[in-house]
Amino acid sequence: MEPRIKMALAIILTAIIVGGIGIGVTVIVLTPPEADALEIYHWWTSGGEKAAVDALIAVFQTEYPDVTVIQSPVTGGAGYTMMGIIKPLVLAGEAPDAFQMHAGYEGKPYFDADLLESIDHIWDEDLKAAVPDVVESMNMFNGHYYSVPVNIHRVNVVWYNKDLLDDNGIDPATLTTWSKFFAACDTLKLAGVTNPVQMGETWTAAHTFEQFIASVGIDFYEDWINGEVTSATDTKLLEAFGYFETYMSYVNPDHAALTWDDATKRLITGDGAFNIMGDWANGEFFIANKTYGVDYGTFAVPGTGAMYGLCIDCFQHPRGVSHPTNSERWLKIVASKAGQDAFNPIKGSIAARTDADTTKYGAYQKAAIIDFGAVTYMFPSVVHGSGAPEAFKVKLSAIISSFVTNLDESAAASALTSYTTQISDEYTKVWSLD
Amino acid sequence: MKRKRISRKIFTKDRIIIQFIFLISVLLVGYFVYISIGWNVVVSLSDWEGLVPSYNIVGFDQYINLLGDPVFLTSLMNNILLMLIFVPCTLFLGLFLAILLDQKVRKEAVFRTIYLLPFTLSFVVTGFLWRWMYNPSMGVINTLLEITGLEFLKSGWITDPNIALFCVIVSLIWQFAGYAMLIFLAGIRSIPESHIMAAEVDGASGFQLYKRVIIPQIKASTFTAFVVLMVFALKAFDFIYILTGGGPGYATEILPLTMYKETFAMTHFAYGSAIATVLFLLVMAIVVPYLYSTYRRK
Repeated sequence: MEPRIKMALAIILTAIIVGGIGIGVTVIVLTPPEADALEIYHWWTSGGEKAAVDALIAVFQTEYPDVTVIQSPVTGGAGYTMMGIIKPLVLAGEAPDAFQMHAGYEGKPYFDADLLESIDHIWDEDLKAAVPDVVESMNMFNGHYYSVPVNIHRVNVVWYNKDLLDDNGIDPATLTTWSKFFAACDTLKLAGVTNPVQMGETWTAAHTFEQFIASVGIDFYEDWINGEVTSATDTKLLEAFGYFETYMSYVNPDHAALTWDDATKRLITGDGAFNIMGDWANGEFFIANKTYGVDYGTFAVPGTGAMYGLCIDCFQHPRGVSHPTNSERWLKIVASKAGQDAFNPIKGSIAARTDADTTKYGAYQKAAIIDFGAVTYMFPSVVHGSGAPEAFKVKLSAIISSFVTNLDESAAASALTSYTTQISDEYTKVWSLD
Repeated sequence: MKRKRISRKIFTKDRIIIQFIFLISVLLVGYFVYISIGWNVVVSLSDWEGLVPSYNIVGFDQYINLLGDPVFLTSLMNNILLMLIFVPCTLFLGLFLAILLDQKVRKEAVFRTIYLLPFTLSFVVTGFLWRWMYNPSMGVINTLLEITGLEFLKSGWITDPNIALFCVIVSLIWQFAGYAMLIFLAGIRSIPESHIMAAEVDGASGFQLYKRVIIPQIKASTFTAFVVLMVFALKAFDFIYILTGGGPGYATEILPLTMYKETFAMTHFAYGSAIATVLFLLVMAIVVPYLYSTYRRK
């Protein structure tokens, strides 16, 4: 190449690089940090969930049309994946304006680290009057409010395929004990339903286990989440594991490879009759155009008829966010009647407010709203971040993942109780469920 | 006279620029690599739990806890098993492919690309790919077995704790064999043609030629590939995280996964740092002898 051409090329290249850097820096420096944006993180990524969060954002944008909403959805049910992403962000001072979180213990690490702003002013008299006391207390630490609930999901729900039960003469209303439930499963098996119960991956199994704990008694559940079940030979603990072992004999063998919504879809396709899942599953039936009471139905997990297992999603105001005003605007919309009535009918949950417009809700939710008012006890879910320290939740998931493959009750019970003892100092909340 | 010229040279513009640029990289690498490693060790000696940093030094408590932690020991065993199977298998397969390609095959470049392609893909992509293939109900492996009438071979694959780790290893070998092949091929190609011709004149052919002439001369390539694969086997995270997440139970859990879960999901920062330090020492145990021998050869 001619030296002169080389020289020209070098100059052009340098000009491009320097120009590029120059323009980049100018853009970064001159652009105000997205003055009118709201950045939120959530894990609502499946079909029904996505539609629900879009409806909530639509309410926000009707009120604040100039604000750009930046969503960062992170796949992974129950937020296992997202929490691993959020913690380093918050620690590094790069927290989004609000992020989805479960009420209760899940917010505690942030509260302990002084990374949350108190939002007592958002909890005005109207909101306090509209939200039940127990839900209110799940959003508090040391007497102050740090989050607002967007919904209430029930976790102790058995979903069923109505045709399969009707064809085999099973009345779901009678399935109030495990022995009756297992007898129904036997009937279905004899009728050619190979795996009457459908279950999904690890966290789904842990979710199911939690319902077994509740089914042996609310007092035992209370002890369990207060870190007081520390004996590997505890009869109630072994009783719960015993039920789970029997339950597993009716479960699909490929459970470990199924996402929760795939397991639920097996009911829609008629491959299975029962599925224990929180009532976010209703969204899957909804988008499949199935009718509650006609194609599918629900009943409380056997033994938990008088209980409402709580999974509550909430949002908070992290300290030092880029758009504090929008963060607070978002929290107000999330807590508002309009926001909750837009989100919850699609999501399959019920509003955390008792003044919800029930006409907007589907048949399932109407029944759930009635149950919510009628039950004697409520319990915060462990698997969904509320009931017990996070470390316990992570460990529980792994222990149950082993259990559902080896069905070794005593190994699981001893792993569970010894870990409870090991992290006893992390049980800082004292729950009173009765 | 000569000395004067050198001392003058130190202050030339070029020299200053070079030293300035050098200094920047030393500072950046120093801070982000060496100081960070040191900081990690300090954290591992503390009792930091939760999101608030705590530098209250408690000594080797975390390391003592490690020894009694069945999850840590399982992960360590899985890590060792992974190295023992994955590294030799990948090396053999890579060598085999390299020798095949060395047979002056037509369209060599096409085959080389095919073998190397898996390595160029992101671990997240291949992780998902294998997860779908291994899916017991919808995956292509079980489906193919069903179609071909080999139903008795159907299995839960990554969902069966007894074989999950081996499934992970098979997919890792698939991904890395092309890389090992490339290193071996480069080694084989760098052997002077005259050596091979001389051996051929002496009557060596086929197997003998490889055994006595070629393989002994690619020791350096083998060593390089060995170290790279060993280090990868120790710190593989993304692939396994996507493929199995360490499950079922702890069947495919290896140290980097345990470290990640303890640190970021369970907020046991000190404990996670202790695992990171153990991992670091293990990697060093492999890398340092390699670097030492490389320098000695030079």
